[in-house]
Amino acid sequence: MTRRMKGALVLAVLAVSAAAVSAAFAAGTAATPGVTKTSITIGGTFPLTGPAALYGVIPKAENAYFQYVNAHGGVYGRKINFKYYDDQYNPANTVPLTKKLVQQDHVFAVYGSLGTAPNLAIRDYLNQQKIPHVLVATGDSYWGAQVKKYPWTIGFQPDYPGESRVYGQFIKNKVPQAKIGVLMQDDAYGQNYYNGLLQGLGDAKSKIVDVEKYDATQTDVSTQVVKLKAAGANVFALFALPTQTIDALVVTTKIGWSPVTFINNVSASPLFMGLAVKSGANVDNDISATYLQDTINNPDTAVAKLYKSILAKYDSGADPNDANNLYGVANAWTLVAALKQAGQGLTRQNFMGALDNMNQINPFLYPGIKMVTNSTDHFPIDQQILEQWKSGAWHPFGHLFSKAY
Amino acid sequence: MRTRIGTSTLVGILATLVVGAAIALLPFGLSDYHRSTGAEVAVFFTAILALNIVTGYTGQISIGHGAFMAIGGYTTAILTAHHGWNDLATFPVAALTGFAAGVVVGLPALRLHGVYLALTTFAVALAVPQLAKNYSSFTGGTEGLALPTHTGMWLYYVGWGVAGVMFVLAWLLLRGRSGRAFRAIRDSEVAASSSGVSLAVYKTVSFGISAAIAAVAGSVYVLVNNFVNPDVFALTLSLYILIGAVVGGLGSLWGVLVGAAFVELLPIALTSGNVGSSQSVPVIFGAVVILVMALLPLGAANLLQRALHFGSKVGQHSDSPLGTEGR
Amino acid sequence: MRARPSSRWIVPLVLVGIGLFLVIGSLDSALFAQQTVSGLANGGIYASLAVALVLIYRATEVINFAQGAIATFTTYIAWQLIDWGLSYWPAFVATLAIAFVVGFVLELVAIRPVERRGNQLTVVIAAIGLLILVEGAIGWIWGNNIKFMPAPFPSHIYNVGGVAFSRQDLGTIAISIASVLVLWLFFQFTKVGLAMRAAAVRPDAARLVGVRVSWMLSLGWGLAAVLGAVAGMMAAASPSVLLQPSMMDGILIYAFAAAVLGGLESAAGAVVGALLIGVTLNLLASYVSWVTPQLLLPAAFVIMLVVLLVKPSGLFGHARVRKV
Repeated sequence: MTRRMKGALVLAVLAVSAAAVSAAFAAGTAATPGVTKTSITIGGTFPLTGPAALYGVIPKAENAYFQYVNAHGGVYGRKINFKYYDDQYNPANTVPLTKKLVQQDHVFAVYGSLGTAPNLAIRDYLNQQKIPHVLVATGDSYWGAQVKKYPWTIGFQPDYPGESRVYGQFIKNKVPQAKIGVLMQDDAYGQNYYNGLLQGLGDAKSKIVDVEKYDATQTDVSTQVVKLKAAGANVFALFALPTQTIDALVVTTKIGWSPVTFINNVSASPLFMGLAVKSGANVDNDISATYLQDTINNPDTAVAKLYKSILAKYDSGADPNDANNLYGVANAWTLVAALKQAGQGLTRQNFMGALDNMNQINPFLYPGIKMVTNSTDHFPIDQQILEQWKSGAWHPFGHLFSKAY
Repeated sequence: MRTRIGTSTLVGILATLVVGAAIALLPFGLSDYHRSTGAEVAVFFTAILALNIVTGYTGQISIGHGAFMAIGGYTTAILTAHHGWNDLATFPVAALTGFAAGVVVGLPALRLHGVYLALTTFAVALAVPQLAKNYSSFTGGTEGLALPTHTGMWLYYVGWGVAGVMFVLAWLLLRGRSGRAFRAIRDSEVAASSSGVSLAVYKTVSFGISAAIAAVAGSVYVLVNNFVNPDVFALTLSLYILIGAVVGGLGSLWGVLVGAAFVELLPIALTSGNVGSSQSVPVIFGAVVILVMALLPLGAANLLQRALHFGSKVGQHSDSPLGTEGR
Repeated sequence: MRARPSSRWIVPLVLVGIGLFLVIGSLDSALFAQQTVSGLANGGIYASLAVALVLIYRATEVINFAQGAIATFTTYIAWQLIDWGLSYWPAFVATLAIAFVVGFVLELVAIRPVERRGNQLTVVIAAIGLLILVEGAIGWIWGNNIKFMPAPFPSHIYNVGGVAFSRQDLGTIAISIASVLVLWLFFQFTKVGLAMRAAAVRPDAARLVGVRVSWMLSLGWGLAAVLGAVAGMMAAASPSVLLQPSMMDGILIYAFAAAVLGGLESAAGAVVGALLIGVTLNLLASYVSWVTPQLLLPAAFVIMLVVLLVKPSGLFGHARVRKV
């Protein structure tokens, strides 16, 4: 072999190795779907139309945050490309749309899909295909509790039983002459809250004087509220979706009943409280729980201003007072944090690894809350704080709690 | 009376074989996701076929076939998830429960006509998901039941296999004495009854058979999504089956494929073509439905027949199954 | 077959009996009274939409599946006018006028072309297509988030003997009854009303005497849209209904049951049917424990079905002679 040929051979080998290395960097690994040198594609399903459409603001807020991140360089130079489809809360739509995201849009991860039943429908498929199924928008305890069977699935928000457990503990300790009336949705959603309440009450559960149930197809719950008042309750545990919550609050005022009222976090957005007030409800002193930053009472903090500016620039028309928008931004922040933690060489494996090993503060959450996960704990947010409605806004009080108040 | 196989029937059989072959070969060129979509077309094919038997051929309007799909779907889900049955083995059971449900609806339906029957079937479509929510220990309630997943290929062949079998069974049924009885009832109940056709028996049986076929469609539907809960069988499903049946052409088996493709593929095509504005999809779909009704009131099958100059009898009815009482 | 004289009085007698039952029960128990009154309030919301359905059915023998969506659409128009600064009652009246035009135009553009060559079933399918279209259009134009619709009657609670009801509840029922009265007056005493009735019952004969039948149908749709707008605005004023594109979906279902129960040809029947359904469901939910919340929707239809099996043309319907 001549020297020229040797040199050419060396050059060729170098060139090929350089190409291989940069290709590996560009793709993450050559086999990581949805990841290129310049982009990461993720996707999820949400009820953009239909009766649950009031949650449809969430993916828009999430996308707003992603665009903000993209405008500031993205994650290791990769811009986040978020695709979301309308499943109308019907699992028969969620499944084909999720398959579409995976097989046609080649998403890196299924992110933020909303609803318990829709997520249950896609959980098996995604775990079998080893696709990250992350930060789902529902508070059912499945997503954190069934880690061994579904390691690729992880939730985001505190679970419903954890929230109502604290209401139970609060009532037990602070409302000695309680006679508790419960209004709950007659399915697993309501049951989740009811079970937590029972756990929190412990032996005080004998103070429950009446439990009324409603079906999601009933928008008017006046029958049930009237019965709760007639049973003599002076504490009202209101475990309902936003529509029925608003109705229950108005009816309570209308019939002249003034119990100590606990409202589940999902239905406590200031948007819904405002609608109840405009329809004639007196909701002063009602209690709920939150885990989000209080941007309404502290509008001048850096994070509150950032939140409002992100919405104003990338999701104009979004109401900053609707807690669902703040939820979206906080959730999106978590995704970006996990992507960063996974590193430049992004793979599905190290992405899940990052989500399984979180220990950080999310600025959009209430100060002091730390997102912590490990191999047996798939509940990123454990902590919440109680809040009380006064003078037209929620005011957090007391201290942060996790398992016990 | 000996039935002769006429030319149009031979051509029909040939056409069916050609279409059947095309359907059988199609999935090899498709992705897994598209095969699942193809399986859903098969589900609608079967359901629309079922609706055609009771509405197109027997003249009894039903806006509630989603309910019969629900019965079959839940039968399959409960047997598979709670009792470990093999999914295909549940199909005959689903058909039987469907038949029973059809008879249960068909009996009071004997007393009702036209719009009253339509609204009763509408009520059944709404009631069945509510019953599923109520008996949640069986059905899993709103959190539903998860079923084993399958590849798109498996779903496609199971779906079209079922569709094919049902098509052949329906064709045999409708060619024979029952089919003639059904058509007689549709055209004039009084005349049929005077000729000795037992209205009660044939009307109820038509509901039963129709429901049985729809139930099996429901079983496949549930497998395609590997999940079932009451929302899966919401009212829109029944409405789409009805739209598909009318767009395809009532009283004819040929239009069923067109109807199924219309209600399953058109919305998907519209969504893919409108990346930013998913809001416009229902507007366009609704407009297309109205347009089709204005231009092809008797459905695609009628268009096909006129184009091919086939027999003048099938599908030319302008009498509505809703009845022309008192007008 | 001649109707037996006594059968004419059965329905009114039964209704009086029910009325007595409700009054006695209410005097006996404040809870019963409260549930009855709430039930009447709910029934009032279904009633206006039920009358709209009856109107279109009488004119065209078509079940208008799109009625609820059109009502929602016109309610959004009212919301928009108020959002642009108009105060409530002017916006209400303006919406009624706009609703008439919307209904009229929809019949002209979407239904008449279908009606020309099709039959009732094709028109029903077109109505379903219209439902999908209109609900989609609402989301397209105004978005899918919930909006606040002010109530016409300022919130004031009356408390009579332990029973609470709001001025809005009374207003809703009053307006439903008023709309039936206005409609009745229109049909009985105006030339146009007479022409519409003629066009509905005997279109060919009506044409012979110079009635423009197709314009009568458009007129019918326009009036039904006006009734629907009333229904929508009253519904949105209730705290149990939020202004969103799917707002009337649930109400439409009860409105169908009410219209059928009352006899599809009778507006008064629709109102009575709606009030009956509202009250019966509330009482069932309160006092019959095996009627779980999920079974209320089916219960409404069981009531409807039972009435139909006994009296196939509904409470106030006329028995139809079926032509051979």
